[in-house]
Amino acid sequence: MIHVRLFAGLREQAGWGERSLAISAESPPDTPAGLWRQLGLGETVPPQVRVAVNQAFAALDQPLQPGDEVAFLPPISGG
Amino acid sequence: MAEAHRPGLVLRLHPEAFEPLVALAEWQQQLTAGGSEAPPAEAHFIGRVRGRSASGAALEALELEHYPGMTEAQITRLATAIAEHHGLLALRVDHRVGRVLPGEAIVLVAVAADRRGPAQRGGQELLEALKHDAPFWKREWSNGVGRWVEGNTAY
Repeated sequence: MIHVRLFAGLREQAGWGERSLAISAESPPDTPAGLWRQLGLGETVPPQVRVAVNQAFAALDQPLQPGDEVAFLPPISGG
Repeated sequence: MAEAHRPGLVLRLHPEAFEPLVALAEWQQQLTAGGSEAPPAEAHFIGRVRGRSASGAALEALELEHYPGMTEAQITRLATAIAEHHGLLALRVDHRVGRVLPGEAIVLVAVAADRRGPAQRGGQELLEALKHDAPFWKREWSNGVGRWVEGNTAY
């Protein structure tokens, strides 16, 4: 399984904040970009959206492993 | 209150209002505990919620969402890299989460160094890193309507 999380405006647009997905055992492995499509969030991840895998920033094409936590993060506004 | 300790870093995320001067006093006491000499240079920044939204409307509150776990891990990574780059002696970051009212403190950044230059540059760099690279999201509430803020206020 892969755990997917959405935050802030992204979560509200999608209407959900957390989902678990069965990961395919096929190659090539799933990636955050692939999950975005698979979850019906859109064709491509918008450039302002950042991705984290296991709570660290990651690339859209990072190969995912079972048990990974993938988060899509809208533009950050901290401090 | 979430809390994380690393050598030289004190990090606190506050779901309720915090008093930055009390936090600073506590940090300074920790730095000189056991008779240690106080660091020669410190730089401090306190940020408070302004009373107006980005569009100029009266602000009722600012809501701060974060990513529990990643926010702490990311601040720790940013602070560790900046501390190493500037040779800082100690750092403290306090950040509000949840609903924050106008006038309340939202962030405290404090750094200690051997010289004023590294203290001021390191403190500034850490504050900017928090604004751009730590997972926090602000929602402005005005007239009962919430609007997610995309991006940061002018520097």
